[in-house]
Amino acid sequence: MLRVEDASKAFDKVLFKELKLELSSGERLSITGPSGCGKTTLLRCISGLEDLDAGKIFLNGIDVSNIPPERRGIGFLFQKPVLYHHLDVAGNLRLGNRDADVSSALKEVGLDGFANRKCEKLSGGEAQRVALARALLAEPKVLLLDEPFSAVDEKLRSRLLKDTISLLSSRGTPAILVTHNLKEAKSFSKNVIMIDEMIPKD
Amino acid sequence: MACSLGGCTGLKRRSENIEVAIPFLIFSALVIIPLLLALDRLIYVSGKMPWQVFSSLDEHYLSQGAIGFTFTQALLSTVLTLIIGIPIAWQLGRYNWPKIRLIRALLTLPFVTPAIVAAMGFMAILGSDGLDIRGDKSTYLVSLLFAHAWFNIALVIRFVDPVISNIDPSMEEQLRLLPAGNSLQGRIRWFWFPLMYPSVLCAAVLTFVFSFTSFAMVRWMIPRNATLETVMADVGGAAGIVDYQIFSNELVLASSTIQFIVLIVALWLLSVLQAKRNQTIAEVSESYSRKRSRIGWMILTPALVFCLSPLLAVVRASLRIAERGPVSSHRWTLDGWKSAIGGDYAYISILDALQNSLGYALLTLVIALPLGWSLSSGIHMLEKRNSYWAKPLDVLTMLPLAISGIMLGLGILLGIIRISTVFFTFWWMPAVPHIMIATPFVVRLLLPAMRRQDPLLIENAQMLAMNRWQILTQIRIPLLRGPLIVAGIIAIAMSMGEFGASWILVRTGAWDTLPVLVDQMMSRPGFDPLVKPAAMAAASLLMITTLILFLLAERFRPDGDGGMF
Repeated sequence: MLRVEDASKAFDKVLFKELKLELSSGERLSITGPSGCGKTTLLRCISGLEDLDAGKIFLNGIDVSNIPPERRGIGFLFQKPVLYHHLDVAGNLRLGNRDADVSSALKEVGLDGFANRKCEKLSGGEAQRVALARALLAEPKVLLLDEPFSAVDEKLRSRLLKDTISLLSSRGTPAILVTHNLKEAKSFSKNVIMIDEMIPKD
Repeated sequence: MACSLGGCTGLKRRSENIEVAIPFLIFSALVIIPLLLALDRLIYVSGKMPWQVFSSLDEHYLSQGAIGFTFTQALLSTVLTLIIGIPIAWQLGRYNWPKIRLIRALLTLPFVTPAIVAAMGFMAILGSDGLDIRGDKSTYLVSLLFAHAWFNIALVIRFVDPVISNIDPSMEEQLRLLPAGNSLQGRIRWFWFPLMYPSVLCAAVLTFVFSFTSFAMVRWMIPRNATLETVMADVGGAAGIVDYQIFSNELVLASSTIQFIVLIVALWLLSVLQAKRNQTIAEVSESYSRKRSRIGWMILTPALVFCLSPLLAVVRASLRIAERGPVSSHRWTLDGWKSAIGGDYAYISILDALQNSLGYALLTLVIALPLGWSLSSGIHMLEKRNSYWAKPLDVLTMLPLAISGIMLGLGILLGIIRISTVFFTFWWMPAVPHIMIATPFVVRLLLPAMRRQDPLLIENAQMLAMNRWQILTQIRIPLLRGPLIVAGIIAIAMSMGEFGASWILVRTGAWDTLPVLVDQMMSRPGFDPLVKPAAMAAASLLMITTLILFLLAERFRPDGDGGMF
């Protein structure tokens, strides 16, 4: 499904070198490590928002390394929920799928009746749920989650994580979660990668 | 404390209301009362109501076609300004440029350049010692459009650049990863257009207004085509006098009414668009590092040349004199400067005019800055209370911005001076329109700064038992020092460059300001070869003074959305 081959990236220092990674259909993977170790950069490289210095990225067997991000069919949930305030919640969801059944998508993320809400009125958790619903409506080949729940409190975070896992499982969407939190990483997936060591662990 | 909580709140609210009301009363007395008195006088002398005189504009030879031409040139100027301005604002906002503050200052310099200097600059470029195309009248309109675009691209930059430069990159990145944004058209439709159109339209509305009311450029660059503004200027001097040239009252009444309707619509549009724009600015409040543009210099270099050429052309023309002879030729000389500094029987020395201009500018500063501060504080206080008065008062302060200099000058001439001629003897009278024009600029610079200020800073000072005076002098003024200095300098620059109202009120005499002197010199018959270089020397002095003031202001301008101007 997703294969990263010998990926290397450096800015001021080497972030990762000759990294290998594979994710099969429906599988989930967590990547953890200290701040500045390159977790987010790896996701940005997979999505195409950053270029790799070396290595290749394959999606469904096709080399997408030189394909721009908008053509890769990859979903991304940023650390801070990115909603467009000139559109209401329903308008934001339709960016993911123009023909979306907005109310059922919102119901799935526990925001029944939020369709006409203004985005600036949403709490951090609600905004991230809308962003998640939108990302899933786009039916991505892989969903990349860059510490999407870090801004919410512990209790809400574990609930959001649980809901996200259930939504991903029901759709069979493969996903990679980047997080500082080892506990969260372990709850999200069986496989956890410590990026600074680049060793997959069970 | 001997009062109940409710009683104290009531007292506080009342004293705050008085604090808001006083500056607005002063401002209304300065701006609205002269205009209403002028309107009353025009109706009284002409014996007609405004709607009864519209047809007179097309009936009189002085104003035939003025309505159509005014709208057409303003519309075309707006379109051209956007075509030139948007790519520049895009480059400045989206990419990282070395010396960006300097580049931005140079590109926005035309807006604070006095219109008469700009007109002289374009005349010098197009004239016999430049491109030599002034003989071909078909170039007049295009030249005027470019001159208006030159003057107004700063508005596009000031409105659009902060929106682009403060965009959180993840907003665009997120859209690229969604189906709606996987094409350029999609990203334009769903992201760039909704984000930018309020700012672009704000700039467009103001450009339209400034082109609609342009005076110096139209007067000099299209001498035989009348706009509503030039009609008012040409016949306004004879208006307001009982039984004398009644047609002039009708023309002024008709022109000013049409202009006023257009301006009110424009101000309403502007306030709606600004509210929309503020939402997009609030959404993106941080500055982000930018990439370098590879081809951006291909846009910015010609833009810089375009912005600086008329200014350099003025200085060059002040040092060139036409030689008499069968072939048109020019030589370098300082004679123009010597003649301008010396003055003669027909006009005062440029140094005296500079002194007059500086005097009026200082008077403007002393009144417009505290008045603008009080108005901004009042509006901000009402906004914090969610009062429905905040919006109308905000729009009211913008009124003189949209009213043309000629209209303001006529307001004072017809509304005050024609009522009692004793006002003619008051040397400070020409400063009144300068104060009216400068105050909205002060408000537009201070109000956004006040809105951005963290209210906790004031609340914390209150918790430290500081009284209102201490909070004002020790907290608010020091925190807003930068915008205050910028506002003060811009007020001086606006006063120094003001031409329309001064042209109506001052004309020839010892109170001449530099812009009026430039106009007087250029209006003299051209057989004396010293006339033009002397006029250009006066224009150069005005331009250099404004340039110094503007560059000084830029040093103190806050980063990001540093106000409308």
